Amino acid sequence: MKQWIRWSGLLGFIVITAILVLAWLFAVGPIIKYSIESFGSKAAKAKVEVADVSLTFDPFGIEISGVQVADADNPMENVIQFERAVADIDVFPLLLGKGIVNQLTLTGVAFATPRDISGALAASEVNADGQTDNTDASSDADGRSVNDTHQSSRQASPQALPSADELLAREPLLTEQRGREFEKSLNTIKTDSDSALAALPSSEDFAAYEDEFNRLTSARFDSLQDFQQRKKEFERLKKRIKEDQKAIKHAQTVLSQGRDSIKQQWSVLQDSPEQDFNQLKSKYQLDGAGVANLSRLMFGDTVGEWAEEGLHWYEKIRPFLISDSVDEDTANGVALAEKQRQEGRFVHFASDRPLPDLLIKKVQLAVNLPQNKGQVAINVYDITHQQRVTNKPIRLVAVGENLNGMRALSVKGTLDYRGDIGQERFDLIVQELQVTNYNVGAMGLILNQSQVDVAGQAQLTAGELDAKVKAEFSQASFTSKDNTQLAKEMVLALKKIDRFNINASAKGELISPKVEIGSDLDQKLNSAFNQRVKDKQKELEQQLKRKLNDKLLSYAGSYKEQLNGMGLADESLANQQGKLKNLAKTELSSFEDQQKAEAQQKLDAKREAEKAKAKAAADKKRKQLEKDAKEKFKRLF
Amino acid sequence: MIAMLAKLLKALNSDSAPGQIALAFALGLITGLTPLLSLHNALIVLIACIVRINFGAFMLATLFFSGLAYLLDPAAIVVGELLLSYPGAQAFFTELYQSDFWRATRFNNTLVLGSLVIALLAFIPLLLISRALIIAYRHKLMAWVETLKITKALKASKFYKVYQALAE
Repeated sequence: MKQWIRWSGLLGFIVITAILVLAWLFAVGPIIKYSIESFGSKAAKAKVEVADVSLTFDPFGIEISGVQVADADNPMENVIQFERAVADIDVFPLLLGKGIVNQLTLTGVAFATPRDISGALAASEVNADGQTDNTDASSDADGRSVNDTHQSSRQASPQALPSADELLAREPLLTEQRGREFEKSLNTIKTDSDSALAALPSSEDFAAYEDEFNRLTSARFDSLQDFQQRKKEFERLKKRIKEDQKAIKHAQTVLSQGRDSIKQQWSVLQDSPEQDFNQLKSKYQLDGAGVANLSRLMFGDTVGEWAEEGLHWYEKIRPFLISDSVDEDTANGVALAEKQRQEGRFVHFASDRPLPDLLIKKVQLAVNLPQNKGQVAINVYDITHQQRVTNKPIRLVAVGENLNGMRALSVKGTLDYRGDIGQERFDLIVQELQVTNYNVGAMGLILNQSQVDVAGQAQLTAGELDAKVKAEFSQASFTSKDNTQLAKEMVLALKKIDRFNINASAKGELISPKVEIGSDLDQKLNSAFNQRVKDKQKELEQQLKRKLNDKLLSYAGSYKEQLNGMGLADESLANQQGKLKNLAKTELSSFEDQQKAEAQQKLDAKREAEKAKAKAAADKKRKQLEKDAKEKFKRLF
Repeated sequence: MIAMLAKLLKALNSDSAPGQIALAFALGLITGLTPLLSLHNALIVLIACIVRINFGAFMLATLFFSGLAYLLDPAAIVVGELLLSYPGAQAFFTELYQSDFWRATRFNNTLVLGSLVIALLAFIPLLLISRALIIAYRHKLMAWVETLKITKALKASKFYKVYQALAE
């Protein structure tokens, strides 16, 4: 048997194996360091630096220290850095090329830390990614411009109630616009009517017409020639009168149309102050409905900032979590064509310990909250880009510790990419968060203090976000640094409100969800504020109405005078027209008619004389008869 | 390569036990037919180091059967596929699959399992046949070969000088 055993061979085997193991141990640290820096930089599109990588043997694993991941958008800042990461790694899966990390513990984690040197990649390294960076930069610029626009719109938005004069001076008013049009129209009509009236006969002309008519019609014709002469004059006179009648009719038409136009425009102008008032009222939120936007004013920006921050981190992390979608066997199948020797295929069996290419079973880290508000202990489970192999979603559990300014903080999340459609869900609970000196950003309002309980859920399915957050504020106390009347009234109204809720929701595409913020504060504040500002509002409304009416009346002065003048002129024209009609009706008699008239006149005079003579005789006879009758009567008695 | 072949001839012509040379062939069959970087091959190499076999024959056999594996791989894959999908063995394989060690052996790879099974099946026949052939070579063939002109020519060649140097 002894001749079959070769102990020197065993020694050689051990020596060779030891040399290989030692070489691997010395090489593996730098290899891992290079891999992290190289692949990490490509993924982060910025420098990823590692100070040192070493192996640990109890348990087997690696220790990585001094890791800094630069921010691609801001190269002088690290997105994240940590002092030390210790990974406990399974050995046997390594022989299969599988990285199974039982636990990864990060210590000294800090976000957004400044860098001494730029973390931007060299031009050659970012060549392929340059567009993305530029796009990001432009989107940042866009983002800023959007913010600026938003800011400027907010600055322009009427959060403080100006005086009535300021409002009227600031805003384009329909009253003024229509008033100017009315004035212009009035001037045009006045010019037209003046020219029409100027063409009319004067009172002297009328007197002359009457004298002339009298002369032509009353004097006796001396002869036929005299008659013909006067007839010619009479015709000329009638022609002039007819022309004057036309001028009067034209003037009447001009005045009538002008009057109708003025009345119509005046009617429109009269409605303008009301319309202006309503427009000013809605724009400058003179009613309670305007105040109902307070919750959006108060928390809209904050919600927006949180959402933006969340989206920023989500976009950074997501590429590492989504499966390659290239099945291991498919990959092998592709490799078959390239390899000289076939490799067969791996047949997988049911297992409670499936092995993806990379699996971090547990990541443990602690993050300090800003302003010494405590720590958040974060545990993330089952991190892998091949969830279909592990059949487990990534789970996140973050719990607040040693909290200052809140009683409890908890975030739970699952990122499930096992199905064809990825689904992510997060639940947030914050209890008794103390809010102090929160700048509301509207009307100089400051939420001095309040206690907030927050409960939120967010679900992302196939890029569609559905998020809801409910924040319950209690023991709220507001002040305002503004001295505007509205701010003062707002503070007084808010003093009556101790508890209120804010409900925010975001739905739609992740990059542009429809955000809605509602609150019972709106309703409470609406009624409280309505009560408070009712009197002030009325006063302002009255001032506005009065000033708008003053503006209206300033246009109305000349209108009434002119309208009255036109009315009088119309009446006068009607009289003149009547007189001229009478004059025009007058006809000049012929010479024969004059002779007949004279004969008839003589006959009539004779008849009158005879009639008078007969009447006198009859009267005399009647008196005689009466006398005789009286005598006879006396004799009887 | 020449040195390795010379060693083989030396071994064949030496006093080495035919079984040691035959075992080297048989072990080389396993490392040659199965994918080289497999955990079981580390065991085979360990055995080859510890057991007094002809290492040159082992290396030569590994090279020879690696070449042969290109032809046998499709058949080995089919065998592995049949074994791994055999319903009666599912429980056994599932049990093995739960162990990191056994998974590190890549037993669930059709080529690894198929080629290993073929190699193990051929191990004993190859061991016995090669041993018989070596004995036959020494008793009959070696004497006859010595009389061949080609042998005489070879003895005058560089190859023979190397062989002689190694034999000393």
